[in-house]
Amino acid sequence: MTMTYLFKAENLSYKINEKKLFQNISFEVNSGSAIHITGSNGSGKTTLLRIILGISKPTKGFIEAKLTSDICYLGHKNALKQYLTVEDNLILQNLKLNESVYTLLKDIDLYDKLDVVVSSLSFGQQKKLALLKIFLNKSELLVLDEPCVGLDDEAQSFLTSFLRDELDKNKSIIFSSHINLNIDAKSISLNI
Amino acid sequence: MPNLSALIFKKNMNILYFELLKLRKKSRGWLGPILVFILIMTAFPLTVEFLNKDLEQAFFSILWIAVLLVMMLATEDIFLEDYNDGSLEQLVIHTKSLSFIIGAKILIYWSLIGVPVSVIGSIYCLGITSSHETALLIFPVLLISSYIFLNLFCFGNSLTLTKGSVLGTLITMPLLLPLLVVLGKVVIAINLGLNYFDFLILLLGVLSIIIVIIPLIISFVIRAHLE
Repeated sequence: MTMTYLFKAENLSYKINEKKLFQNISFEVNSGSAIHITGSNGSGKTTLLRIILGISKPTKGFIEAKLTSDICYLGHKNALKQYLTVEDNLILQNLKLNESVYTLLKDIDLYDKLDVVVSSLSFGQQKKLALLKIFLNKSELLVLDEPCVGLDDEAQSFLTSFLRDELDKNKSIIFSSHINLNIDAKSISLNI
Repeated sequence: MPNLSALIFKKNMNILYFELLKLRKKSRGWLGPILVFILIMTAFPLTVEFLNKDLEQAFFSILWIAVLLVMMLATEDIFLEDYNDGSLEQLVIHTKSLSFIIGAKILIYWSLIGVPVSVIGSIYCLGITSSHETALLIFPVLLISSYIFLNLFCFGNSLTLTKGSVLGTLITMPLLLPLLVVLGKVVIAINLGLNYFDFLILLLGVLSIIIVIIPLIISFVIRAHLE
């Protein structure tokens, strides 16, 4: 039986000022599978993710997506407004404050911080808040750029078990991480 | 099946609400420019010894320059904040029509800064000229010109998103000069009772073109910056 891909990248290459970041990267993402992009600092992991998201264009190659919903993405920047409270930021992310949100907030220890201004939160707490929209996603494909940065062990294992559940729900994940997330993923190395 | 137009309307209202929430909570973003405007308009008669007639003549020049300056201040970091915190990236990924969001953002800035400045400007006009007719005639001109200024400064700032707002302002200046000339003519038209509505229609025409084109151009510029 042939598996139909959800997302396909064919011979992706990218160069900046004649310096080749990566070349001829090809992969397919099927429903319920994960891709782990690895590589040293500056090898082009974030750039590859940005190409997947359609923000940047590859120098060579193409991507093909058969998605019926938006991609859910969390990058290096958390897209949080520092001068707004946690609650206001949730509203801005179009999240309805219902029981499932409150439960998740309790799970990540942010429930009692709803009226706290984001700039008062630690880096790790801000990362957890940014991850909340990933936890509540309705997408077929999750794209995560270094999702574990700033997270404590407890939060990391919470994220890992969440991602495993998402794979069980037939969702797909593309992520880059220097920290080993204990999920079943095909690895793509950008180190030449 | 939910009504598609109702869904689109709700989504658009959400965008406006989110932009309003952001700007309302960032008081220095909207209150700062309004206070600068009040400061300029209050301070200028105090600093020079004008006769009442001279004051009237100089007033409109100061008014237009003050509106220009305030709109420049208001738009200083209109896109920079979203760029720095990653919100622009999210918008580009999730939104089909980035230009609509940019248009909504400019509209909210105008509602919270341009409209109050226009009202306050008209009140100052009433105070200086003692003519409620002039104040009433100047109000729509202020509304339209502040909206045009906002759009043009947003364009300049988007061009130099990561290079600072000074360069953006310099780029925008040549586009603003013809408008300042027209605003000068509007004052003459009001004083002489000639062609006021012709100028108003001209300004509305310029605004209606700018309101469509500028957000579209800015959306392309922002995509290029993110790339």
